[in-house]
Amino acid sequence: MTGFITRRLLQSIVVVLLVTVIVFVLLHLLPGGPARAQLGPRATPPAIANFNHQMGYDRSVPVQYWHWLTQLVTGNLGFSVKFNQSVVSLIGERLPKTLVLTVLSTLFALVVAIPLGMVQAVKRNHAADYAITFWAFVFYATPPFFLGVVLIVVFSVYLPILPAEAPQSSSIGVILSQPAGLILPVLTLALVTIAQFSRYMRSSVIENLAEDYVRTARAKGAGERSVLIRHVLRNSLIPVATLLGLSLPTIFSGALITEAVFNFPGMGQLFWTAAQTQDYPIMLGITVLVGVATVIGSLLADLAYAVLDPRVRYA
Amino acid sequence: MTAIPADDAVLSDSPKTRGVFAGPLSAFAENKLAVVGLGIVVAFILFCYVGPLVYHTDQVHIDLSQATLPPSGTHPLGTNEVGYDQLGRLMAGGQSSLEVGVAAALLATVFGTLWGAIAGYAGGFIDSAMMRIVDALLAVPALFLLLFLASIARPTIGLLILVIAFISWLGPARLVRGQALTLRTRDYVTSVRLMGGGPLRAILRHIAPNAIGTVVVNATFQVADAILLVATLSFLGLGIPPPAANWGDMLSNGINYTYDGYWWLIYPPGLAIVLVVVAFNLIGDALRDSFEVRLQKR
Amino acid sequence: MSPIVTLDDVHTDIALRNGTAHPVSGVSLTVGKGESLGIVGESGCGKTMTALSIIRLLPPGGRVISGSITLGDTDLATVDEAGMRKLRGNRIGMIFQDPMTSLNPCMTIGDQVSETVLLHRDVTRAQARERAAEVLDLVGLPRAKERLDSYPHLLSGGMRQRVVIAMALACEPELLIADEPTTALDATIQKQILELIDELRDRLGMAVILVTHDLGVIAGYTDRVAVMYAGKIVETSSTQELFANPRHPYTEALFRALPENVDADRRLYAIPGLPPDLSDPPLGCRFAARCAYATEQCRAQEPALTGNGHPFACFHPLTTKQQATPNPHTPLAVAEETAPLLVVRNLVRTFPVTSNGVLQRKIGTVSAVADVSFTVHTGETFGLVGESGCGKSTIGRLLVAADTPTSGSITFDGTEISGKSHRALRRHRRDFQLMFQDPYASLDPRMRVRAILREPLAIQHRGSAVEQENAVAKLLDEVGLAGAALDKYPHEFSGGQRQRIGLARALALRPKLIVADEPVSALDVSVQAQILNLMRDLQREHQLTYVFISHDLSVVRYLSTTIGVMYLGKLVEIGPAEQVYTSPAHPYTQGLIDTIPLADPEREQRKDNAGVRGELPSAMNPPSGCRFRTRCPLATEKCAAEEPPMRQFSDQAHQAACHYPLQQIH
Repeated sequence: MTGFITRRLLQSIVVVLLVTVIVFVLLHLLPGGPARAQLGPRATPPAIANFNHQMGYDRSVPVQYWHWLTQLVTGNLGFSVKFNQSVVSLIGERLPKTLVLTVLSTLFALVVAIPLGMVQAVKRNHAADYAITFWAFVFYATPPFFLGVVLIVVFSVYLPILPAEAPQSSSIGVILSQPAGLILPVLTLALVTIAQFSRYMRSSVIENLAEDYVRTARAKGAGERSVLIRHVLRNSLIPVATLLGLSLPTIFSGALITEAVFNFPGMGQLFWTAAQTQDYPIMLGITVLVGVATVIGSLLADLAYAVLDPRVRYA
Repeated sequence: MTAIPADDAVLSDSPKTRGVFAGPLSAFAENKLAVVGLGIVVAFILFCYVGPLVYHTDQVHIDLSQATLPPSGTHPLGTNEVGYDQLGRLMAGGQSSLEVGVAAALLATVFGTLWGAIAGYAGGFIDSAMMRIVDALLAVPALFLLLFLASIARPTIGLLILVIAFISWLGPARLVRGQALTLRTRDYVTSVRLMGGGPLRAILRHIAPNAIGTVVVNATFQVADAILLVATLSFLGLGIPPPAANWGDMLSNGINYTYDGYWWLIYPPGLAIVLVVVAFNLIGDALRDSFEVRLQKR
Repeated sequence: MSPIVTLDDVHTDIALRNGTAHPVSGVSLTVGKGESLGIVGESGCGKTMTALSIIRLLPPGGRVISGSITLGDTDLATVDEAGMRKLRGNRIGMIFQDPMTSLNPCMTIGDQVSETVLLHRDVTRAQARERAAEVLDLVGLPRAKERLDSYPHLLSGGMRQRVVIAMALACEPELLIADEPTTALDATIQKQILELIDELRDRLGMAVILVTHDLGVIAGYTDRVAVMYAGKIVETSSTQELFANPRHPYTEALFRALPENVDADRRLYAIPGLPPDLSDPPLGCRFAARCAYATEQCRAQEPALTGNGHPFACFHPLTTKQQATPNPHTPLAVAEETAPLLVVRNLVRTFPVTSNGVLQRKIGTVSAVADVSFTVHTGETFGLVGESGCGKSTIGRLLVAADTPTSGSITFDGTEISGKSHRALRRHRRDFQLMFQDPYASLDPRMRVRAILREPLAIQHRGSAVEQENAVAKLLDEVGLAGAALDKYPHEFSGGQRQRIGLARALALRPKLIVADEPVSALDVSVQAQILNLMRDLQREHQLTYVFISHDLSVVRYLSTTIGVMYLGKLVEIGPAEQVYTSPAHPYTQGLIDTIPLADPEREQRKDNAGVRGELPSAMNPPSGCRFRTRCPLATEKCAAEEPPMRQFSDQAHQAACHYPLQQIH
């Protein structure tokens, strides 16, 4: 297993490097280049030239990349003129909140989707399966912002039991102490994930129920529930772990939209604000961070996979 | 009666030969949900393209005197904030949404399939390199990338299609590569080499046709995802500017009026999006089931 | 002996998407305590469904619709699902065919075996674990106690099947049902497992139902046998009686289709046609359409099982006179010396094994083919036989240049083909072709037969379109398929028919040599006979040379002029087929012959040799000196120190590599 993990780790590093290359390319796609990104759209040509020279942007591309990369690694993601703060500190403020949102909703989604998928597989082609499938399709097809708005209308306007806006505060403690305000955003983000994961779990369980070892278990006299929980569950979770790793980019995108709808002061909302005001250092910084986070996340998913599947562990 | 009859390999009595797709298509037709999905898509296509021929509205000139009228006889779905008839706008918006969705999906599927097939068949270092690029692009969330690109330049329809396709080709690439890896080891692919055939023949004549099932299924999901993506972009303020109509634009505009109670601005486009995306997902799901069943049947 | 289990006129149906299948149509049988009953038949005859009906584990849509099943004094029809669960693993144990997939990969062996105990006995986990260790020891799993916490994927096929048996026996059931328990295993392991089941039957006094298609297994390991065809039992008797005096034409047909019963110069009896469709069975006797003795009465009326002691269902049962008629003659493959067509010298193929680490360091090599040399002459059939892992399939692929050797040379018709580039070989490829094992994976499911057969011609640019069409039609005719097959897809054919198409494709380029890699292993006995006869005929017609690769020694003996026996990458014996088979020189060959179950109860009883003991060593780390020494009863220290060279025996062509051969050295 150490071999498996080491290999994945090295692969991940390569991917992270590629991510930085992509972002670097994006940086240079900007009209006017990084100078304009830093100085804003109104910068004068001499200021740009001066900036370029100072930052070394008039040197050859590989040198620039190296320079930029070292900046990244030492934790310098740039400076936002509009917020008058370094990107790192901005992210530092916002990141924990986004983490609260994404982690809570992902956990919630898993806790709901896994049993739901199993129920669907056991009762396949019966009423319960069709009903759940129907709702899964509907939620999956609903644009997350629309879903958020509908939830707001239902729970904040018609039945005013939940606040429409997420808790506004710069500290996590305050946010967590107002759980009511978190319910709708978490639910919005989770519903789409639940829809996808329960379908996946359903087909994974159906596949596993048809395997030979299930027949052996039944021949031993094991009851259906025992077969499901002791035998099928663990085997069925294996592809779901992989899916989780692959879904992280989607979850982050979803977080961005959800934060925008509910005015949640997280990293996603920061990105959106930055996009609207063309604050490029923030956008780039967050993109790199999210890219790296995704790679780490999928590495963790692989780890979970290795834990679940002894064939990988003891190969 | 001691004679032993000669060898005789009698063919099984199958009445008429059925094509390769006959099996999956009939399984598809039996899946009621799939037929419903197909029905919805056809209905919407008629609505969006034949509708305007029957029901004329002006979608270019603003008429503020007619702004935000609730549904009535003259305007069955009311008007929006600049006086456009909502029903007519729904039709026009549908055209745009469907076109962008299908075009982006096609582009993404073709490019992704080629990428995946080459990587899967070649194997080794080439495969590794190609897939690492895919991994890296996948690691960057699509939305972030799109927002970034859109903030540089407001997209035209063509650019939008290109950008969405650029995000979406990664899915088919992975899928087809997986398929290619599996199919590469099949005996009937090996036999091509034994007959003296080259890799091109193996890929084009044997691997690609057998991977088509997966590709088609994935393509339908791509259309659904593309429509959703366009809607989300509009919400974030980076869709195609008016007077071009688009469901996503209509929806996000309408949301601004949630507290004003102008429900006809919100729910029709929202419902339209949900219905079409559900329909494509149903079709894709049913296709996947029917292809799998056939391949497993011996 | 009061019966443990009784079936009386059992009918089982399976509801399909369109229609209903009737796999079991009126089966009655009994098994007594300590008795072993075999149910034998080809695929689709309903034997597995009968077994599953007893334990009520039928596939979705399956139901026993009538008849009674009694276990001891319990009528199983009155037992509900909860009650059945209490019986499964407790009073009835069942083991299945494929040990590689029958165990849960995510659970330890100890847990899986303990589970049976915990389900049916009121014991603590620790006690269940102890019982698990006890039972694993009983089935011959070495170091059982240590293995309790290991996972299935670390065990070989034979070991896994022992674990499966342990799970089934942990609660000492009254009845053990074994559905093809050894079909997926090597011959030498097969014997070990069957002996184990036999021994445990004695020890625990169980009734055993052994479901199999292999008449040799029936001959050696059952007391009584029921022959099934198309959902019905056609004949039941004691094993010895069945083989000595078969009454039903189907039974006779099966015997005459077995290569081991037929001399090499006679055709195999191939039952024409295919079994009936069980969703719409014929009115009269179900075997009538394919029976050599059928009359109008047979087609109109269904014969009932008649007779005491040895019941059979036939209007025209066999008489002793009919049994003596031999199969028709067929000329042998050419016996005189001809020019060598294929010369293999010092062939070596190793595969690197990389560690799982990042740097992919080579931590070892698998020695798949280790210095093999032989010559194949024009027009002969060279049989390459051995168990899994011996390297025969690898050699097959090397011979048709589907793979490149690590060293050594392969010369075909004077030209060296090993090590040539794909382009240079292209022209030569038309001279040697491969016939694949798996009839389901060797044909592209998306191509019609016409396209499949034209492809080789198209690649090699042979003839115009019209000429190709004609050639293809002729090919179909030669393999015995109707012209209508051209427009059909592979999934519309049966396994045997697909193998015919595969053979036609191999013939398309009119090659000189066809390498057939286990071409009949996946087929039923009667279909196997059809294909073997066909291969014989084609060989004569087109002056073909065959290299026939198989694990089945009786088939190889029947078809081959020369046999080469392989073990763990080495060629241990080579010589004329009859000689190698009747007077083998190498202990492994003798062991193989001993382990292969023969369809002759008397010879099976007389076999006292334990066969080949132990497990196959790892190909990454083969034993020093003679590779067979770890399992050889005659091995000494010399065998470990020195690798034995190939030495000749009485017949110059007969050679073996052994320090202590069973024959006199020339």
